[in-house]
Amino acid sequence: MKMIRAFIRPEKEQEVVLALEGAGFPSLTKMPVFGRGKQKGLQVGPVHYDELPKTLIMMVVNDEEMEKVVGIIQDKAKTGFVGDGKVFVSPVDGAYTVRTGEAVL
Amino acid sequence: MKEITVIIRRHKLPETKQVLEELDYPSLTIQSVDGRGRQRGAMCAEMDSEMPDSFCTAVKLKPTPSSYALEHTLPKKALYVPKRLLTIVVPDDAVSKIVKALIKVNQTGKAGDGKIFISPVEGAVRIRTGEKNGEAIA
Repeated sequence: MKMIRAFIRPEKEQEVVLALEGAGFPSLTKMPVFGRGKQKGLQVGPVHYDELPKTLIMMVVNDEEMEKVVGIIQDKAKTGFVGDGKVFVSPVDGAYTVRTGEAVL
Repeated sequence: MKEITVIIRRHKLPETKQVLEELDYPSLTIQSVDGRGRQRGAMCAEMDSEMPDSFCTAVKLKPTPSSYALEHTLPKKALYVPKRLLTIVVPDDAVSKIVKALIKVNQTGKAGDGKIFISPVEGAVRIRTGEKNGEAIA
């Protein structure tokens, strides 16, 4: 299994989530975060924004579905301008459903 | 070392903390998150049924703005359930013990009990002393 953490524009969240839902991945966890990237924040005239609001979407999927999910996120979250965000994928050894106690996703 | 990421009901947090304390792994990070699972957040109402009825539904549920939903003809509204996400980093041999305890304390049998994820952690540093890996989480 893989854990996908996608840092995306807050305004793109709905679109990404609905696309994932349409593709059969309804399960996700989201949280608001603040961060900056390679461009060291955002410079608008004399004003410098160091930390920009982003939405972190976290989901755990099976290995073979990872490419598809990342593809959907990339497709929907893309605007082509700096600040579109990042997607990180990390390994997950196991997952348990608390309700049943079973070791399944 | 393993990282245990566990998503639980909000009101189970004190009990979960107590259990972890009893197991002698009191260190944890707590985040307030919104999420949904296989039921697409449909169990939100049930989960929040413990809240008084005077709470406006709009406070309990977070529906997707309907304009988007209408445009895209969704089968169901996208709803999110407020949850608590705990992150615990523990040695390998403690994982099964902790997972068992977490399941025991958080299980209600209804959908929305949450998930537990186990991921490998490559390294750890205690900032105060500079201790590495094993000692850093001891």
